[in-house]
Amino acid sequence: MASKRSHEGYLLIDHTDSPGVPDSLSVPAGLPAGAGRGKFECPTLTCQHCDVVVLVNPKRNRERAWCKHCDHYLCDACGVELHHTGECRNASKRIAEYLAAVERGEHPLILR
Amino acid sequence: MARYSLTFTSVTPTAFADTTNLTSSNYGFLLQGGNTTMQIKISEIFAGGEAASSSSPSIMVLARDSTVGATVTAGATRSALLDATGTAPGTTAVTGNSATTNPQRSATLHLLHLSFNAYGGLVRWFARPGEEINQIGNAVNAGETSFSAYTGGTPGAMSGHCLYELV
Repeated sequence: MASKRSHEGYLLIDHTDSPGVPDSLSVPAGLPAGAGRGKFECPTLTCQHCDVVVLVNPKRNRERAWCKHCDHYLCDACGVELHHTGECRNASKRIAEYLAAVERGEHPLILR
Repeated sequence: MARYSLTFTSVTPTAFADTTNLTSSNYGFLLQGGNTTMQIKISEIFAGGEAASSSSPSIMVLARDSTVGATVTAGATRSALLDATGTAPGTTAVTGNSATTNPQRSATLHLLHLSFNAYGGLVRWFARPGEEINQIGNAVNAGETSFSAYTGGTPGAMSGHCLYELV
């Protein structure tokens, strides 16, 4: 039986042989403090509703958004949207809508 | 279907703000669908620094483009089938880092931030199968993705690759 961790990707930022980057640059880019020094490894999740790659913070104790319809973790923004609409907008649905619109001769924008 | 490696070699990116024109040869790559219905899955991004200056922080961003490239040429990129025995489909993706009209990175549709020092640093991200980044068609905001340097830092020379699959 697959676990939720079976969805995880992997990010490596290796500054073992490099001065690295200061927190003033890496933190605004969404990385945790200290990630720009030495070797940084982190699991990642790809939000199934918008394809954004999210770094998994093991110290996070807030709830992480989860879509029970597509059985995937979501980014925070899509989690809020799901909470408001209750609608699953996973990749296969968005692509199917896009292709149907192209077939109708429309020029769809499928992303939020 | 067909899996490809899109490589870029010894590119020194220029830092660009969102929604401004990238300039030829100053970004890693663009990856655009070959037609209005082509679906692409991106499964891995790698960049390894080659800069000679010890201060080469590079804020690399994989993002969807709000203006897509036109008349794209390969420049310092190459796209090759991963399977040596494979046959390319009739229509392939458009790839390159040079164009008559260069792309503009979307201000909102950033997908992956990879900050690293191009002086000896490297970054690698890969997705679990089934969790790849999707793009569809060849139009703005959905059909093209680029890898470029964001404002800030002093980007240095780097090479790398993007693994993608035409679905």
